[in-house]
Amino acid sequence: MANAREILDRMKSIQDTMKITNAMYMISSSKLKKAKASLDETEPYFYSMQMAIGRILRHVPDMKSEFFNQRPEIKPEDRKVGYIVVTADKGLAGSYNHNIFKDVEECLKNNSHAKLFVVGEMGRHYFEKKGLEIAHQFHYTAQNPSVSRARNITEKILEEYLNKELDEVVIIYTKMLNGVQTETETRHLLPLEKEHFNKNVPVGVQMEQLAMVPSAEALMENIIPIYIQGFVYGALVESYASEHNLRMLAMQSATDSASAMLNDLSIQYNRVRQAAITQEITEVVSGAKAQKRKKKR
Amino acid sequence: MNTFFLKVIASDKVFFSGKAEMVNIPTLDGEKVFLAHHENIVIAIEMGDLKFRTEDGETHHAVVGKGFAQVINNRVTVLVDSAERPEDIDKIRAEEALERAKEQMRQKQSIQEYYHSQASMARAMTRLKLSSRYLK
Repeated sequence: MANAREILDRMKSIQDTMKITNAMYMISSSKLKKAKASLDETEPYFYSMQMAIGRILRHVPDMKSEFFNQRPEIKPEDRKVGYIVVTADKGLAGSYNHNIFKDVEECLKNNSHAKLFVVGEMGRHYFEKKGLEIAHQFHYTAQNPSVSRARNITEKILEEYLNKELDEVVIIYTKMLNGVQTETETRHLLPLEKEHFNKNVPVGVQMEQLAMVPSAEALMENIIPIYIQGFVYGALVESYASEHNLRMLAMQSATDSASAMLNDLSIQYNRVRQAAITQEITEVVSGAKAQKRKKKR
Repeated sequence: MNTFFLKVIASDKVFFSGKAEMVNIPTLDGEKVFLAHHENIVIAIEMGDLKFRTEDGETHHAVVGKGFAQVINNRVTVLVDSAERPEDIDKIRAEEALERAKEQMRQKQSIQEYYHSQASMARAMTRLKLSSRYLK
């Protein structure tokens, strides 16, 4: 058994680590609160946007827009797909980054013309180590998502898409399922599918008269970029919230296991200490007895 | 005066939601005013100054980005990528952004970067113009 001194040292170092994990837990939980609030605020925009696009498509079903062009002339094996990958800047967030990487690798397996657009330091390091080429690295973006950052990403993506440097755009991010659970999500961003916007319209519903100014096509040209931008912003915010959610859980379980270890160690320490005391008493008593016997003689 | 329900939604927040008497929208070819019971319409919005008068007769301003407005059954929904009150605009930050955009325009650059700087310059100028007009 280790001696008491060693056990005390061990306990001390665990206590120090626990202080750190506990502090990280607090930080993440306050950041999560903020992120969740801004996540709630993105929702009305997203839903009204989707409904509005659906409405225009209902009125103009044969919309001719580059954004809806599936480019069927390009064979599946030749399609250039851009992946927007949202990762964190830091680790220590449970399986947050690993899950994303796993999904990205799954996507890359059956695609030889992939371009990676990476958000977050962890993603950059990972793909660099793997020797995969990163088409564009968006610095800064994982922390504190903002509209202007989403705008930068969207501009870059749309420009490549419209120049036919990309045929498809996919975004891989982490989604909040409810308050606690998260899940990685792979979504096709471009080209848009018309069916996607008109999912739950009851048949035979009365269609209102609708004027479109300047024209349906021009409207779409105006709307789609900000729709994509809204989506990217939403994905960034959602990933940010998920990251902090997972980090909070990871830090909580780290703190829990640290206190369990401390508990075990303190029992062990008490035993060792008790053993040492017992031994000392035995030594003193037996010493005293030996002296007594000597005197008697 | 007749009123209608107005909702101004930006990508990061709901900017305004409530009854209004009129709304003035910057469109691709000039400004357009909408009153209550307008015909159903979807119209594109250009970066600029959005004005609306609420029930109590007060006029509000918003600096909006690109987007569109739709009028359906006397409900006006304005969806824009960003919306700010003129008094919320950080003038120094906008000035810096303008300076940065100008600097980038001066330098030689690719066409893509050129469009990017042009857009950010337009944005900065709109924000500056409006914030100095209403804050004196």
